Amino acid sequence: MAAAILALCILVLLPLCSLLIGSIRGEGGVTIGHFTEALSSRLYLKPLYNSLVLGTLTGLFSVLIGLPMAWAVSRTNIPGRRFIQLTATLSYLSPPFLIAIAYVNLLSPNSGLINVFLRDVLDANWLTFNIFSMAGLVLVTVPHTFPYVFLLASSALQSVDASYEEAAEILGAGKVRTALLITAPLVAPAILSGALLAFVNAIALFGSQAIVGLPGRIVTLPTRIYALFDYPPEYGLASALSLLFVAITVIALYLQRSFLARRSYVTLGGKGSRPQLVDLGWVRWVVFGGCFIVFLVAIVAPYGALLAVSVSKSWGLDFWKNLTLANYRFVLFQYDVTQRAILNSLLLAVLAATFVVSVGAMIGWIELRTRLPGRRYLDYVALIPMGLPGIVMAVALIQFWLAMPIALYGTLTILLLAYAGRYIPLGVRAANSALRQIDSSLEESARILGAGWGTTMREVTLPLMRPGLFAGWLLVFVPSIQELSASILLFSSSSITLAVAVYNLYETGYIEPVAALSIISILIIGVAIWLANKVGGVEIGRAGGTRHEGVGS
Amino acid sequence: MAGITIGGLSKTYGARSANAAAVSDLDLVIEDNQFVTLLGPSGCGKTTTLRLIAGYIMPDTGTIHVDDRLVSSPASVVSPDRRGMGMVFQNYAVWPHKTVFENVAFGLKLRKMAAAKLRNQVEEALGLVNLTGLEGRYPNELSGGQQQRVALARSLVVEPEILLLDEPLSNLDAKLREHMRNELKQLQRRTGITFVYVTHDQTEALALSDRIAVMHAGRLQQYGTPYEVYARPANRIVADFMGLVNLMPATVVTARGDRGVVDLGSDLRLDLALPSGSAAGERVEVAVRPENVRLGTEDGGGDARARAEIVDRTFLGNLTEYYVKLGSDQILRAQTHPRQEFAIGDKVVIAVDASQCSVFRGERDAAQAA
Repeated sequence: MAAAILALCILVLLPLCSLLIGSIRGEGGVTIGHFTEALSSRLYLKPLYNSLVLGTLTGLFSVLIGLPMAWAVSRTNIPGRRFIQLTATLSYLSPPFLIAIAYVNLLSPNSGLINVFLRDVLDANWLTFNIFSMAGLVLVTVPHTFPYVFLLASSALQSVDASYEEAAEILGAGKVRTALLITAPLVAPAILSGALLAFVNAIALFGSQAIVGLPGRIVTLPTRIYALFDYPPEYGLASALSLLFVAITVIALYLQRSFLARRSYVTLGGKGSRPQLVDLGWVRWVVFGGCFIVFLVAIVAPYGALLAVSVSKSWGLDFWKNLTLANYRFVLFQYDVTQRAILNSLLLAVLAATFVVSVGAMIGWIELRTRLPGRRYLDYVALIPMGLPGIVMAVALIQFWLAMPIALYGTLTILLLAYAGRYIPLGVRAANSALRQIDSSLEESARILGAGWGTTMREVTLPLMRPGLFAGWLLVFVPSIQELSASILLFSSSSITLAVAVYNLYETGYIEPVAALSIISILIIGVAIWLANKVGGVEIGRAGGTRHEGVGS
Repeated sequence: MAGITIGGLSKTYGARSANAAAVSDLDLVIEDNQFVTLLGPSGCGKTTTLRLIAGYIMPDTGTIHVDDRLVSSPASVVSPDRRGMGMVFQNYAVWPHKTVFENVAFGLKLRKMAAAKLRNQVEEALGLVNLTGLEGRYPNELSGGQQQRVALARSLVVEPEILLLDEPLSNLDAKLREHMRNELKQLQRRTGITFVYVTHDQTEALALSDRIAVMHAGRLQQYGTPYEVYARPANRIVADFMGLVNLMPATVVTARGDRGVVDLGSDLRLDLALPSGSAAGERVEVAVRPENVRLGTEDGGGDARARAEIVDRTFLGNLTEYYVKLGSDQILRAQTHPRQEFAIGDKVVIAVDASQCSVFRGERDAAQAA
């Protein structure tokens, strides 16, 4: 128990404190200079503005895409429901920075394949699209964020008791009026909550903002904070900017919570019947077509592009004439970083997931089964990292550990601390909900039969919690293995991770090997998820209700 | 006001095999200004029937008329919002995002009623269900009984000709349920609205209804007044469902016209009404309600009497229930005044009131034995 509390201090509280201290420490003592600079210079206000615009647009488009899909899946007779759900799940699981790299290959102004095709073959210059723009940034971000809206909205639409709508109908309200006056207000909190989660996750994505934003001179908060670590690093300013970033995230998450809390009445009611499905007639094929376009844009185009680039000698319209596996040979055997990065990432993901779930189980147990004073605060502290974007977590850890006598910077340990810290809310959530479902009488009956605390834990509590804990383990493992936002500031050549390796190779400009390495990472992530499912029998798409709370990579 | 005529109504969910029919070939005439109950165990098709009347689902065959207006047929269904009915749901379906006032005013707003008149009407409806003063509350600030009344007021305020009620009292505690039962009955008498009430609770049905439609496995078993369905059940399903009953095998001894004598074994012979076509020697079943079995100590003679032994006794407060064993080893359940104290093992003489018994023809089939 003490170990869990200590872990929370080291992972969350102390780094956060050093972030606070760092932001107000000037050369001559306490200062608010960093904040005034962050809030007055165009250098920082512009990124702030860009981040807000990006988050807002992403939230908006996530609703525009996620809501109709959710409605179609839960309320109509649309074909291919499983397929649409799978599209949302795959979109959510796809590493956003790889999607960004893929779209650069398709839509970069000069060499993007689609643009080249439009310009040189169709002579339709006006149709070309520049990915290095705010629109492009939204395009590569939305596939990762619309599933939040989709999931929350479809579960809300499914859980609205049909009798609420039927009661309105029998009083004389038609279908449209019922939808507007009854259904919409009931599910609106869930939709808004999904949009806010999309917002929070969108603005935290360092990878796509660096890959797509920077070439278009769209600097955002994460990329600006990253730039502050160029020599000479400006810790104070980075801390102040990080705290502003945290403030935005926390406000958005606070709003999200209060919206979601209002959602509780959706599941109210006794028997409750399922709503009747709307027969769309031939329109259902149109709606399905819309969903299929989402599948094309979010899955087929990016994965297809990466695959095609990875097997071509030089990327262009004639790529299929010179196919090769040389890129794979290069990244796997000649580029000495790759193997190390793969091993590092696997090791870190396994350790982080195991660690987080263990700490989560202890914290959940303390909160629900003991009378320890202040145990509620433990839970609050464990949820703090939800408000910390990856890059902010990295800044906090650097601040803290640079001040410590132990040299952790650049080691695998600091990466592990970063991952564990970032994803501890997922572990606590999973353990908490698993434990909540176990009535304490099950443990009490073991005790009355003579089992001690340890035996009860081993024989009753832990076996019953196992499915929930395993779901939590997966929830941590999957984002850990593709983590970029925090790793990018913390890695060294020996502790390099898979995502960082891809990003660094991309920076050098060799797009074909990058694509090969991207495909390899996708395969590793895919196999890891598949294996974990096999072993645990949990389907990641349904791994517990905690998923909507997820923190992006 | 309006009556409902249902003819040849069938509805099957999912695969259309005859076994899975939720409602099959239902004919029912619900007259104007009546309180009619659809009664049956869960899965008997009563709720499906109600939802067919409301227009939420389309029938596979058959028609529903309200007065002379065709509202449902396989070809076309008038949507619920154009039927001018009201409905009270089992879970009340009081909208959680609207106040009591907004809930009740909803239907009137759709009818574009002027604000002042609307306010009066809502007040009146809330007064009718004793909710005056709670206009500004949200449903989560109300008790179950109060939500129930909001649902009632919301349905009544639009002055429907027909009010449909789907097990409206099943989520209330026993005391409140009885109270609301009386209120519902009075409300129906006062307003003259045709009530169609769905329940699985036979006591509720007996207490409330002008007529009861007993349903089982999607089919109408009997349609009649509460007294008829209780005292003169049409078949053993109805007899079994309407309260406690002893179903005893018997043989017809003599049959003349619609009356005759049946032998229940153990010297017990009853002279009672027989189903038409019964002949001497035929195996039948006699339904004997426990309250129609009297226990005594003296053998006064007569056919409707037999010797028996008390094998079990349960004191239930307002009555005492005995299990008695007849000479044929058959066990019979009897309910008597709680004062009458026999002990287990006592030898008694039982008397059966033959005028209150029913006779059913044919072998008792296994499925209904339970």
